[in-house]
Amino acid sequence: MKNLSLEAKIGSVLCAFYFIWGISFAIWLNFFGQAPVPDMTMELISPFERGFLLGTDIYGRSLFAMLSAGVMHSLGFAFATALSSASIGVVAGGIMALAGSRISGFIEGIANAIYIFPTVLIAIMIMSLWEGGTFTLWVTLVAVGWPGYARIARGEFLRVRNMPYVESARAIGQSPVKLFYKTMLPAIMPVIIVQLVLGLSGVIMSESTLGFLGLGTSEYSWGELLSMAKDVILEAPFIVVTTSLTMAGIILGLNLLGDGLRDALDPRSTGDKT
Amino acid sequence: MIKSLLKGFITAWFVATAAFFCLRLSPGDPVERILGAQARPEQIELYRTSLGLDLPMMTQYKVFLTNLVQLDWGKSLFKDKTVLELIREAMVPTATLAIIAVSLAFIFASLLGVYAAKNRGNIIDHLLRFLTLSALSFPIFSLAPILIILFAIQLGWLPVSELISPLHYILPCLSLIIPLTSVLSRVIRNQYLESRGEPWINVLKAKGLGDRAITLRIYKVCLPTILNVVSMQLSVVLAGAMITETIFDIPGLGKLLLGAIENRDYPLVQGLIIYTSLIYLLLYVITDIINAKIDPRLESVK
Repeated sequence: MKNLSLEAKIGSVLCAFYFIWGISFAIWLNFFGQAPVPDMTMELISPFERGFLLGTDIYGRSLFAMLSAGVMHSLGFAFATALSSASIGVVAGGIMALAGSRISGFIEGIANAIYIFPTVLIAIMIMSLWEGGTFTLWVTLVAVGWPGYARIARGEFLRVRNMPYVESARAIGQSPVKLFYKTMLPAIMPVIIVQLVLGLSGVIMSESTLGFLGLGTSEYSWGELLSMAKDVILEAPFIVVTTSLTMAGIILGLNLLGDGLRDALDPRSTGDKT
Repeated sequence: MIKSLLKGFITAWFVATAAFFCLRLSPGDPVERILGAQARPEQIELYRTSLGLDLPMMTQYKVFLTNLVQLDWGKSLFKDKTVLELIREAMVPTATLAIIAVSLAFIFASLLGVYAAKNRGNIIDHLLRFLTLSALSFPIFSLAPILIILFAIQLGWLPVSELISPLHYILPCLSLIIPLTSVLSRVIRNQYLESRGEPWINVLKAKGLGDRAITLRIYKVCLPTILNVVSMQLSVVLAGAMITETIFDIPGLGKLLLGAIENRDYPLVQGLIIYTSLIYLLLYVITDIINAKIDPRLESVK
């Protein structure tokens, strides 16, 4: 941990803060509290008034509770999505690098077609036509997300494929499956983890973009909250500001952490090592 | 060049096919959804036949592709205009916005990126790094309202909504320029630093070239990578322009798409998605071709 840059340290503190926030809200919700419910008598109360720390939104729900639920929802969803994309991507990347040319060519073709296609547009198309719930959104974002991981995993597998220790493992007769996940996978994990951290912030962005466009699947989506807030921007600018800052905090944290880890892992990177 | 055209063509076909099957295979009956729950069965049957939805899937697909190529993209279900007419009208504001934003961001990012690289490690470089990272943490739909609060409500300098005078363009453009400049200036800075260490720079120095001439040549070497990033960012710009339009109430493609989604105007949604994807792919292919012209090495490698 010593050679981590200042940025990475700030990033990990920020991320840890949000994790604790999200998890403690989830625990509180499970044992004591209830999810924020609309109450039109409490509409648009300013921060610090009538016992609301951050005020209320246009449906009279406590903004603090809404944002906390948003942290829980966004982080949970981001993890589910990014982990699935990464798993599929690593396996696909492994096949692309190690399998025969016909199979790998086929998978590579699909991956490239999805990769150059604008992600948000696919997601908008699917979500608007299928009108699905969180599950559909998850499937969609995984479907457009895995090629990014696959490209990186492929490069990494090609790099370690002919390393002496892999050759020795092959020579003592390790099975291809074992060779894949026991011998080569640990060697490429660091790079994948960096990508995963950066991918988390990408998923949070995409999910809230769709929420903003009215294609979201959860009422706690920050995007949805912001699209409501922009309609009352004159009466209650505080909603825009607090929601934006909450969202920016976690995205900044993840990006700083991801960049910092990448710099620490890759000595050639020209990002600054302060 | 032929290869990148082919790649663009195949992806375009892929997109159109995806749009077609997404619509046809979506759960529930689209006709029932369009007409609503009160519609009588005869009405539904009639409408289905008129849309050609009663034909077998492959026949429908053939008709769809033929119409697509013949530029017969159908009519909007709610407005009395064809899809292409609506798109043509909405095109202008979106294109204006995107072109202004991309070109200005490109200029700003080049200046900032090269400046930061040449002064690596000093206070301005750090400040820039900090500012760009923070700017990237605000998605466009939170950045734009914040800009409105700051410049329109608090300071009262700039007008919001619609595009009446050049002043009205400032805020929408700014909310696109800020994230784009942030991404690009980081890429340019890192690319510049990477190229600066290469041996051929020494030859230029030995020839006695001035500082400015050397900077320009390094920049030119970085250009293909930068343009690649620009073309990757174009989808972000397109999506961003759509979001910006809904916030600033600009009658462009984004507003059209959102309205179409809300009204379940399927022909319009389908047409808009295919149209934006085609534009995006076209730009992608053009970037490929320009890059091959700037850097002949890329052509031979491919």
